Amino acid sequence: MGQFFSRLLIGSMLATTVGLGTGCSHWIELAALTDAAPPTSATVATDARVPLLLETIRVTHNGSSIAPPTILERQVLGAIEATRLFSQHYQSGYSQPALDQARVTVRLSIDNLVEPHAGQAAWRGFVVGASMFALAPFISLNYDYSTQMALELERWDGQIKRYTATSNGSAHYNLFGASPDVIEQLKGQVTEACLSSLLNQVIHDSTFYLANSAQPQDHPIRTVTVGVRRPASHAIPVSRPLADSSPW
Amino acid sequence: MLVYILLITLMAALSSPVHAADPTPQITVGTQEVSLSGGYLLPHRLTRDHTTKQQGAAFMPSWMMTLSDPIGDSWYRGQVSLGAEMVYIQFQEPFLTHGVGFTPKIKYTFVAQDRIRPYAEFAGGPFWTDLAGKIPEESSRFNFVLTAGFGVSYFLTDQAALNVGYRFHHISNAGTRYPNLGLNASLPFGGFSFFF
Repeated sequence: MGQFFSRLLIGSMLATTVGLGTGCSHWIELAALTDAAPPTSATVATDARVPLLLETIRVTHNGSSIAPPTILERQVLGAIEATRLFSQHYQSGYSQPALDQARVTVRLSIDNLVEPHAGQAAWRGFVVGASMFALAPFISLNYDYSTQMALELERWDGQIKRYTATSNGSAHYNLFGASPDVIEQLKGQVTEACLSSLLNQVIHDSTFYLANSAQPQDHPIRTVTVGVRRPASHAIPVSRPLADSSPW
Repeated sequence: MLVYILLITLMAALSSPVHAADPTPQITVGTQEVSLSGGYLLPHRLTRDHTTKQQGAAFMPSWMMTLSDPIGDSWYRGQVSLGAEMVYIQFQEPFLTHGVGFTPKIKYTFVAQDRIRPYAEFAGGPFWTDLAGKIPEESSRFNFVLTAGFGVSYFLTDQAALNVGYRFHHISNAGTRYPNLGLNASLPFGGFSFFF
């Protein structure tokens, strides 16, 4: 009987060695698109563009309000800047555009939902441990992340348009492939996809945000092509525009 | 020797600077923990047939992987981690003998308090000892060790913590040979952890 257990132990150690060697993997899946608008671009007159002021970013995490991380503020501002729809980009609390200058004010609301599947992780972890880690390469752990963004843009004359977008994704990883980087990648990709969807809707309305709404026709002096920066991943968010609150 | 190692590591940990600007340890999914603990095994003779007063120093390096972000909104808010631990015991009574084991380990850490984090843990795995055969309770050198216990971590920095705790220790061979009365003991321990 003792020999049987010795062999079992040696077998487990071999399986563990193989498992450690092959189990360092992870992958990220984003939700498939159902009805997102195709990427849009437009050509606008450079001089018609106005400054943008990012006034507020409100963030909730599983329903609880949290302070927006600085990196998120930069990501949002960077994504807006990359559209080239606005002439300058300001953030509340820093330097501001002149009071008499036409501007677009932005308010962003981000609701994040995180599902770490803690119960599943505990149960699967117990199974992995009970197998002396031999099952580690074959049992995946999951982490779901979803974000819903509501963007409100107020023009200099008080007219407001609202946009919403939702994106979600899951990270799957084995025990030895778990890393905070995997979760950060998932959050980054979901956020990027959601932002792209929002800004794509804004680009559809690009003329609304120009000081002179007339599109450059025959003799534009200086123009710029505006559009959404393509996310690096294959992220496909599900987006749904709200009914406009403006009379346009 | 074990006491000296623990004292040195304790002093090294205490001399680490505390980051006052970021006092809350940010332990998320994928955060790994390596720790070193030491303690002293104290026997429990649970029946009249148990006569051996096995005791000695125990030394336990371990590795853990955090499997979940903090869950729950009340005092039980916490996170699950899984890992493995080596255990070495130098039995000094009734004979100078040795034991070594490898145990997968699962831990639930309560994170409602920022720096002081209680935890409960469970571990079990194979254990070899040459004490068996020399005592009436155990006949086989190949055994299993099961431990369950609790402890508390005090975070000195957002990456380093001191741990103290208690474990109940059981050693037996799962009926593979007889006699198999099992050896039971208490193991108070202390140590430190590093998170990365």
